Amino acid sequence: MDNPLVQPDPGLFIWTILTFLVLLGLLAKFAWGPLLKALDERQETIRKSLDDADEATRELERLQQESARIIAEAHAEAQSIVAKSRAAAETVREDLKQKAKEEAGTLVRGAQRQIQLETARAIQQIRHEVVDLSLTVASKLIKKNLTQEDNDALIQDSLSQIDASRN
Amino acid sequence: MQLAEEAQAPAVHAAEADHGAGEAFNAAEVIIEHVSNSSLEHPILHLPHIAGIDFSVTKHVMMLWLVAGTLFLVITFATRRYLSQHRRIPTGFMNALEWLVQAIRDSIVLPSVGAKFVNVWTPLILTLFVFILASNAIGLIPIFDVLGLLDRFLLHTEPESLVNRVLHGGTTATANYNVTAGLAIITFVAIIVAGTMAHGFLAHWKNLVPSGLAWPVYILLIPIEIMGMFVKPFALTMRLAANMTGGHIAILSILSMVFIFNQVFESAPLGIGVGLVVAMPLAVGISALEIIIVMVQAYVFTLLTSVFIGMAINVHH
Repeated sequence: MDNPLVQPDPGLFIWTILTFLVLLGLLAKFAWGPLLKALDERQETIRKSLDDADEATRELERLQQESARIIAEAHAEAQSIVAKSRAAAETVREDLKQKAKEEAGTLVRGAQRQIQLETARAIQQIRHEVVDLSLTVASKLIKKNLTQEDNDALIQDSLSQIDASRN
Repeated sequence: MQLAEEAQAPAVHAAEADHGAGEAFNAAEVIIEHVSNSSLEHPILHLPHIAGIDFSVTKHVMMLWLVAGTLFLVITFATRRYLSQHRRIPTGFMNALEWLVQAIRDSIVLPSVGAKFVNVWTPLILTLFVFILASNAIGLIPIFDVLGLLDRFLLHTEPESLVNRVLHGGTTATANYNVTAGLAIITFVAIIVAGTMAHGFLAHWKNLVPSGLAWPVYILLIPIEIMGMFVKPFALTMRLAANMTGGHIAILSILSMVFIFNQVFESAPLGIGVGLVVAMPLAVGISALEIIIVMVQAYVFTLLTSVFIGMAINVHH
């Protein structure tokens, strides 16, 4: 036990344990504990940030797809609206045309009937005028008043003559 | 081999410097002096005996305090500064510290101890690692050799005064078996505490041997396991101290060649020549090797401690 390399030294042994335990306590309280906690927190923060970033990317993608979809829908709708309105305008035009045609037809037919009626009435009137005229002329010519029977007979005669001449 | 009656450090320097004046250079004495603790008859600071134990502050106690104080200040300062930042961005030394903490937690403690107890045992393993590493490493830096030299040629402090003793103090504390035994006791207790915390006090002791074997096996097994319980810390003690002592002795032996050649051939130029051509390159090589050993031994000690704690927690039989 003379060799100082292997001399037992209980004092040093106990000092070592005490020194180490004090250092352990101080470091655990002031350094390792807070540091380990901070490392865990940072790990959690990084994980959360990455998750958030992923989430945001997915959300962005979703929004992009959604906006593309909305734009496509809007396009389609606009096209369909244009097509529909074109069709509607066509229908309206056709209707109007049809109506106009019908109206024109009605008008023409009415006018024709009117013309026929007017013509017939005019002819009737002319006949009466002619009879009156003939009577006046005839009475002036013969200067004599005929009996009612003669008169009627003459009128009838004249009329038949006119009819005959007309035919 | 005994130096006890001499005032140590000055004696060594005297031996180195004054050999020409007649005193022979004794390589063994010088080397032992450079790696051993101060004798209890000449500590740095005398303290009273308590229960028959001498608590005097010797070189190695001083080195332990120096290491512990430095570690505490440096690590706590870096951590506090980092944690007080609003945006916690690790810079400089904090990066290294953070790497160390994560490496030890995730690749040493976690695989052996398991996720449940990782936060309980990481501080212990971290403290063991930095304490052993710093104690090992500070022995490679000849702080006190330089201070002693300064004192001898410039300061001329009073011999045997406290300042004088402090200036001539300092060797690798982890090269002392008493120190490594103290650290190994920490491991020994930690194993028992870990087993007790995980399984309860009685169950921990039952876990030492596998259950459900034929009774004659236990007659063999129980003594073996009890022996194993003590062999673990004993092996830790021996491995660390022997490795630390061995490297220093190798370096000092090689450097002694300078003085041996000088003395044997009575030629200073030959001594210096041997020193420059042979001793110094070899010593540089061994010092480089020592740097690796310093780190490996700190790693081995902590890894084994962590594995032993893990074995007490996760019992596999």
